[in-house]
Amino acid sequence: MDRRIFLRAIAVLGAAGFAFPGRPWAEPAQDAEKFIQGLAGQAISTIADRQLSDSERAIRFRKLFVSHFDIQEIGRFVLSRYWRQATPEQQQEFLTLFEDLSVLTWSKRFKEYNGETLEPTGAGKDGERGWLVESRIVRNQGPPIPIQWRLRQGDDMAFRIVDIIVDGVSMAITHRSDYAAAMQANGGKVDSLLDTMRSKLITLRAEG
Amino acid sequence: MRLKIKSKRRAFLCLAALGFLAAGCATPPPPEDKEGLAEYNQINDPLEPLNRTIFDFNDTVDVYVLRPAAQGYRAVVPPFGRDRVADFLDNLKSPLYFANDLLQGNPGQAGTTVARALLNSTFGVLGVMDVAKHMGISGHKSDLGQTLGSWGMEEGPYLVLPFYGPSNPRDTAGMIAESFGDGLDIYLQDNHLRWVSWTRMGLSGLSMREAYLDPLDDVKRTSLDYYSAMRSLYRQRRAAQVNDAIHPGQPGQHPQMTQKTDPAKSR
Repeated sequence: MDRRIFLRAIAVLGAAGFAFPGRPWAEPAQDAEKFIQGLAGQAISTIADRQLSDSERAIRFRKLFVSHFDIQEIGRFVLSRYWRQATPEQQQEFLTLFEDLSVLTWSKRFKEYNGETLEPTGAGKDGERGWLVESRIVRNQGPPIPIQWRLRQGDDMAFRIVDIIVDGVSMAITHRSDYAAAMQANGGKVDSLLDTMRSKLITLRAEG
Repeated sequence: MRLKIKSKRRAFLCLAALGFLAAGCATPPPPEDKEGLAEYNQINDPLEPLNRTIFDFNDTVDVYVLRPAAQGYRAVVPPFGRDRVADFLDNLKSPLYFANDLLQGNPGQAGTTVARALLNSTFGVLGVMDVAKHMGISGHKSDLGQTLGSWGMEEGPYLVLPFYGPSNPRDTAGMIAESFGDGLDIYLQDNHLRWVSWTRMGLSGLSMREAYLDPLDDVKRTSLDYYSAMRSLYRQRRAAQVNDAIHPGQPGQHPQMTQKTDPAKSR
């Protein structure tokens, strides 16, 4: 009796392995590439439409941004040593403002979309739970732009982007330098930085 | 003890470079603030106040002169024309690219440069058309600062040059040395055609400024601190270019993202 149950259990597990690729039996490097390809496809189909109003574009971009990027991780990296000095309320406020700033600056860039395509060209492991996807943007004019995506797999095995490296320049590192300088200009106080971020948001929104 | 020696060297650098502009040097954080000091050393911008002043000056010149000129250039000359100008100017630099490719120990790259120069100068009518690219031989640039970097020379502290913008001691030295080694300029000088050299320089500046109109506008608009954002972008870009010289054709070394404030590779 036990042996039959045991054998049946093995059969079910084996079948599950074939029926549900995506769990450990799948090829994560390809999954990582597909993740980026999927993001690009969704971005082009939902955001790159020139007819969209700015507010609608921002809403759609935010949806993609929140679901594909690890904002917590990026925010902590950008704030670096000041993160620990901040209270939980300040940290939360920072992440919210950071998300708003990112949405405003990036969704505007999609306004200029002109038929570019994103081609993943490979992926490799990057630490214990990290992946690095190589890709390039093919434009109508000029050479293709190499872009690397740094992904991290969470406990739920879902991919999230923690950095974009364009032509050798890391967005996270650039932001970190920028924010560190803004912190210093504000006497090292997190509240002052939050004020600076709020003013920046107002300025960007006023641009239209 | 090592820190003491480092700040001694920095102090000397400050004094030697600007005996009369002592106000241009930054004040490092006190040694008790270990994280602050680590950050200060990693940023490596001991001349920050002076650099910021020059940066602001450059920005003013840019807002009132360079940017409008570049916009005018873009408005008046169609993309086809601007591309021809860029291709022509790029072709003129082939001897320097070739020299640097060799110095970097990249014979393959050097060969590509020669092939491109020959193809573009003949079929491309003196370099006005980049026919080589259409044949699959795409171009690259090499400069002396990049070469020195590929030999292992550190870039040194951040410098903002008047008009030329972001740089560092190594790249500045490279630029100056190259200006003495530019064969075309030497020829023009010897034949009393200095004005052609100046025209070429002006056109180069205009062409490059036009190419960077959108990216620079974007950085200025979206950054909290334009100066530091540019510093970070410049340094990362340069590091990537030096890496290209050491490993041509391979994707770059990846800047590490660590939660520690370890200064290691990030800028």
